[in-house]
This record gives sequence, C-alpha cells and structure tokens, in this order.
Amino acid sequence: MASIDLDKMLEKIKGTQWALSDIDWDAPGAELITEEQWPKLKEFMADLMWIEHVGARAFAALAKKAPTDTLREIYSYFHAEEQRHANAEMALMRRWGMLEGDEIPEPNVNLRIIIEWLDRFADEMPVYVLGTVVPMLEIALDGALCTFLLETVKDPVCHQAFEKINDDESRHLGVGFTVMEMQGRSASYIKMVQMMARVMDPRLILGIASYMPLLNKMRDNVIAMGLPEEKLYKAMQKFERIGGRTEEGRRNPWFQLIKQHGRWVTNRSNKMYHVPVDALVKITGMVPRNALPAVPSWVKELTYEPTTTR
Amino acid sequence: MSTTENSKKPAKPKAPRKKAAAARKTSARKAPTSKKAAEKTVSALIVGAGFAGLGMAIRLKQAGIEDFIILERGNAVGGTWRDNQYPGAACDIPSNLYSYSFAPNPNWSRSFSGSEEILDYVHHLVAEFGLEKHIRFEQNVAELRFDEKQGIWTATTDKDVIFTGRAAVMAQGPLANCSFPAITGIEDFKGKKIHSARWDHDYDFAGKNVAVVGTGASGIQIIPELVKVAKHVKVFQRTPGWVMPRPDFSTPEWNKLLFRKLPASQQAMRELLYWSHESMALAVIWNSPLTRIAERIGKWHLRRQVKDRWLRRQLTPDFTIGCKRVLVSNDYYPALQKDNAKLITWPIARISEKGIRTVEGIEHQVDCIVFATGFDVSHSGTPFPVVGRDGRVMGDDWKRGAQAYKSINVAGYPNLFLTFGPNSGPGHNSALVYMESQLEYALKGIRKIVGEDLKVLDVREDAQQRFNKGIQKRLAKTNWNSGCKSWYLTEDGFNATMYPGFATQYAAQMADFKEDDYETA
Repeated sequence: MASIDLDKMLEKIKGTQWALSDIDWDAPGAELITEEQWPKLKEFMADLMWIEHVGARAFAALAKKAPTDTLREIYSYFHAEEQRHANAEMALMRRWGMLEGDEIPEPNVNLRIIIEWLDRFADEMPVYVLGTVVPMLEIALDGALCTFLLETVKDPVCHQAFEKINDDESRHLGVGFTVMEMQGRSASYIKMVQMMARVMDPRLILGIASYMPLLNKMRDNVIAMGLPEEKLYKAMQKFERIGGRTEEGRRNPWFQLIKQHGRWVTNRSNKMYHVPVDALVKITGMVPRNALPAVPSWVKELTYEPTTTR
Repeated sequence: MSTTENSKKPAKPKAPRKKAAAARKTSARKAPTSKKAAEKTVSALIVGAGFAGLGMAIRLKQAGIEDFIILERGNAVGGTWRDNQYPGAACDIPSNLYSYSFAPNPNWSRSFSGSEEILDYVHHLVAEFGLEKHIRFEQNVAELRFDEKQGIWTATTDKDVIFTGRAAVMAQGPLANCSFPAITGIEDFKGKKIHSARWDHDYDFAGKNVAVVGTGASGIQIIPELVKVAKHVKVFQRTPGWVMPRPDFSTPEWNKLLFRKLPASQQAMRELLYWSHESMALAVIWNSPLTRIAERIGKWHLRRQVKDRWLRRQLTPDFTIGCKRVLVSNDYYPALQKDNAKLITWPIARISEKGIRTVEGIEHQVDCIVFATGFDVSHSGTPFPVVGRDGRVMGDDWKRGAQAYKSINVAGYPNLFLTFGPNSGPGHNSALVYMESQLEYALKGIRKIVGEDLKVLDVREDAQQRFNKGIQKRLAKTNWNSGCKSWYLTEDGFNATMYPGFATQYAAQMADFKEDDYETA
C-alpha cells in the first residue's frame, strides 16, 4: 500500500472535527451499565483515559520535532484530538457516576512515571522513536481496549462517542505508519548506526525502563477486567503486519526493535523478558505516591465539561 | 550616513498636546464631493495623511513646494495610529527614534510612548507645519491613472471626485487595512466581535468573558490591559513569538527640560538609540552568534517570568529570532498567569454561536472575541488600481510578487513615488528612519520633475530588475527567509516586504539618486 498524501490528510483532519457538545451526554442509556460491570469499568475507563492523555503528550513532542510543516500541524491536531478522546472518556465516566465532583481519575504509578518521563524528556527524543512507539501503543492498547469496551458496554452514547474516537484513531494510525515508512527510505546501515547512538542516550534508556513495566501493568489490568489476553496480543501483531507491509516499513530499524519487543510481550513463556519486567512492575507498585513529583500542569487541562467559561 | 543626519530645519520644540486638540477640531475639513469638482493641477498628490503622507508634506513645504494635496479617506489624520487605539497600544521603538528628526519632540512622557501620545505628535506636526489646508478628508482614492501625454497623475475617488498632480506619492501605508480572519463559523458568533485596529471604545469589558485571538504585536499589548478589567480572558495562540524585555521608563522633568533647552542633547540621544538598534540587525536579520545571544535573552526573560514548565513550553518559539517580528513586553507573560487569564494553544476548530471550539473538543464560551490578527498586507497588489504607461496596471505587474526600484519607483509608472514600497521594511530599527530616506528621495524626484518641467521621470526596467536580483539574493541569506511563515512572505515564500540590511545601508541606497537609471521626457 502506498503511503498517504499528508497534505490531503491534513485537510481531511481539519474537515472532520467534532466537539464534546455534539454528543448528548444526558441521553438515556446510562442505566444499561450493570452493577457488576460498574467497578471494573471504572478502573478500565480511568486507564483508557490516561493512555489517551499520555498519547496526547507524545504527539505534542512529535509536533516539536516533525521534519515538515505539514507533519508538524498534523501532530498538533493529533495532540488535541487525543486530549479530546480523554475528555470524552471522562465525560462518559461522569455520565456513569464514576467521578466524584471535579476529580480527575488517579493515574497508576507506572503512568505517573511515564508522565514524568514525557514531561522531562519527550521533547528531546528524535521524532522516529516516538513516531514508532506511539502507533504500537495506539494499535495495541487503544485498538484492543476500545473493541473490548464496545463488545461489553451496551450504552448507545458510549458507542456514539467511540465511533467518533475510532474515526480519529484510524487517521492517527494511517499517518503513524506512513511516517514509519518515511524513516525506512534511506540506507538501513546508516539508520541502524544512528539508532544505536540514540539507544545509548540515558534519557531514552529511562524511557524504555518506564515503558516496559507500563505495558505489563496494563496487560495485567485489562486481563483482570475480563479482556481475553489473546485479543491484546492479536492487536499487537497487527502492528507487525501493517508496519512490515512495505520494504520501507521493514527497513525502519525502530520498527524492527518495537516489533521484536512486541513479540517478547506477547510471548508469556519468554521468562528472560517477563520475569525482570514483572519484577519492575512490583517494585514500582511499592513506590509511595507522595514520593512522586507533582503532576505537570498539562495534566490539569483535562475536563469532562463540553463547554467552559473559565 | 545615518538617516538621522537628514535634519533640515528642526522645528521649535513645543508641547504637542495643546496644538493637537486644536488640530483635531479642524480635522473635519471636507472637500467638495460633487463629480469632477477638480482643483487645479498641483505639483504633488499625496495619498494618505498618516506619518508618511504628512512627512512628505512637511519636506515639500520645507523645500518651498507649497502646491500639493493630501487625500485622506478618513476624517482625521494619523493613519495607523489613528486606527490602532486599542488599550495598551504603544510603539515598540523608543519615541526619540520613532519620530521625525526634522520635527523632534522633547516632551515624550515615556521611553516607549502610547498610541495616544504618538497621535498627539502627529496632530502637532499638522498644526506646527500648517498642513490642514492641504488635506482633503473623506476622499477615498479608487484609482490612480497616469496620462503620459500631459505627464499628469489623476486620482479618482470613490465619490468620483477628481484630483490631478504632476507627481503622486502613495503613502497609504502597508498596515492600513484589516479584516476579520477567515475562521469557519465566524459569522455565526452572536457575541461582540472587535478587531484590534478598529477598537470599539464604547464596549465595556467589565465583568465580561473575553477571548483574544492572536498573540502578535497588538495581542500582547491588549491582553495585559484586558486582564485588568475583564472577568476572564482566554488567549488563543497559534505560534508563540520571541518576547524581549522592554526598557520602558517615564521621562523625568529635568530630561524634558534638557531636551528643550539643549536640542543637541536630544539629537545625541537619538544617535545613541539609532546605533544601538543598528547593532540589533546582526542578531535579527542574519543568523549570527548574536542571534543566539538574542535568543538567550528571550529565553531568560521567559524563564524569569514564567515558572511553570508546561506554560513555558507553550510560550517557547520554535523559529529563529527575527524570522517573524520580535515582540517587546514586560507585562504580557505575567498577565497570562493571572487567575482570570488562560492561554489556549489547542488549534481552533471553528467559531460557534457562543464562543470558540478548539480541537480538544471543548467550546470556550465568551461574551466578546477580540481579533488581534494583524492587517491585510498585500504582497502582490495595490489597494486601488494604479494605471501607468500604456494602460499597464501595477497589480498585474505585481501578480508574482511586488517589485520596485529602491522600494520607491516602479518601471512603467513615471512620477510616482511609494512610501513603504516593496522591500523597505525594517526588522530592527525605526520605520520612520527608513521613511525619512524615502521622503528625501521622493523630494529629489519631485523637485526634478517640477524644476526641469519633466513630463516623465520613469525608472528603467533593466535598472529595476538588476536592483531586485540583488535584493532577492541578499534576502535568501536572512532569518526572514529561513523557513518560518510570516506576514513578510507571500504564500510562495517570496519576500516583497523587508530590506535585507542595516538602516544605514538603506539610507545610503536612498541618498544616491542615479539619474542614469531613469528615462526622462
């Protein structure tokens, strides 16, 4: 499949905007959430909302580093769109009585660490590192989680919101894979050497050390909520399939690295990977919340209110 | 040579405010509006009674040419400074440099004066040099046409009144027109819409929720003032600019007295300001080690005034300093951090009935939207049709980007002088310094036309082309052409706006009237 025309994509993005006020958050259907579902769904939605929000921040970093004006503008839109998804998911949580007052759901420790990492280092990362990791996260977590949610929740407002969210996400993935292929267009050897130099960057090593336990933690969370493990793995394999569909895509060394990592994650019997990473999850789980730095102010921009005067 | 050395006949220093009031009262003098109510052909027709038009008039008078007419579309003088009277409006060049060297004002109240005081100065110029009788108000020029046989320019107004002159000076200003931006849904908004250049002084902002769209030179001046009075102010930013500290002080009385008693001291101050601004060219126009220093000062200013890391990130420019206009302010960053202010950097999706919808899905509801979105700057046209020799139209000649000879003459349009024509814009020094050079040049041309009784003084096409080739070559190496989008460039990235050099270089270029580059008849 040929890469998409990014200029046309930008026009399409601008022409397909929606707002929270396009949805009637008080429409009937909230009662379709069962009492049994409610506590699990509350945690599930909080995780989903945070993934969107963390994705938003990654897009903000990509916008700073994008190699062309068009891509920079596209990523600025994606940054805002991911924020819109998080806002819409919060609005759903509020509709379902899962928020108390103005409270923002508490992120887990692994998310807090990732938030801190993004805040400090994401802007310094080369565009192709985040440009490859973000599609992986989107396709695996977003894709699997959203499908699972729509299969289990009957509320029509939830379906209405996710129809819009999924439309946005399909554009995000289209651009994501195109950018991955752009990276694969030059000599692989040079790219490999450049990548190795980047991998040595301690800031990136810190990022990897935060990303790996986050994935395992999220896997544990969604499985606890009833999502079949295979569905998550199937979604992750989709990354390998789409990302590797062209010669250029396969020549992107970051794709190869993330793909390999995806294989380790989906192979539970790989003790070499899972034992230390699960141990990291446990260790980070023991970090007391008050030992973590205050959340950055971009987190406070989340809102479930479709309209605001302040 | 510095353009500030062009001083011919310094006016007696007087307090401009008193005379300004009188000038405003008389500023409603109207010309007859009946068809063909032409006056006799004058030596020079000047279009626009802003700084440029009035400056041209003063220099003509000082040179002994009294028969000229200024056509002004409004009912008062002042141009940009008459129109831009929004709260906080001020010049970002020190007043001692943003004034004419041939009409110094010793009484500036601050180092950077506000628009009202600048407008007072403009009115003072009118009164001091007796320009009122030359101004025809409410005469909006609809066409300028050259008659080669007679060597006459004819200005026809939108009311079909005709004025004729042997030479014409287009001094309508590059920042004279403005319009609301083309944002989807703007016509749906039911609240109040205000453009910064057409301020509504009757609108009461107290207790109102206000949105400000745009964070350029006007925006950063309006925002601190609105935050003082409005209930809540939301600032919608697309691209953050470089904001430098503003060394603004009130002028002590002894200083004013010194300037009054010893005009040479004010001239010395002007020289000092001139050369300190000239040195900034090295940082702003070209990418040099000084550019990095200037950027460090900008970042230091931001870090000192904004403690929150995310807000600082939102306000950090991502282009080389100088690529867009450099902003100066001490109170913009603090204003954004007040409890009743908020910076929004999400892209705008559309404007709705009640406010602005941004791409993060939220509708920001407001009572009023202030558009500080700048001016309609034409890079490839003229504000009204200008018809030259053999019926050629300047707008057609400029379709692929405006071009002129030394920014002031255009081949095929004899006896016509442009102020702030193509490639005359300064990025680092006072616009009036550049303007003075243009006025002197135009004066030389007009004197030649009148003195030698020329019908045609037309710059040669080849001279114009040679000049532009050189200018564009030099522009390619400047920060303006380094990749960012700005109002200096056309959609295709052609720079028809800025002069790539020091003000001193520009002055030297304009001081040299090369007769060989002209065809005369």
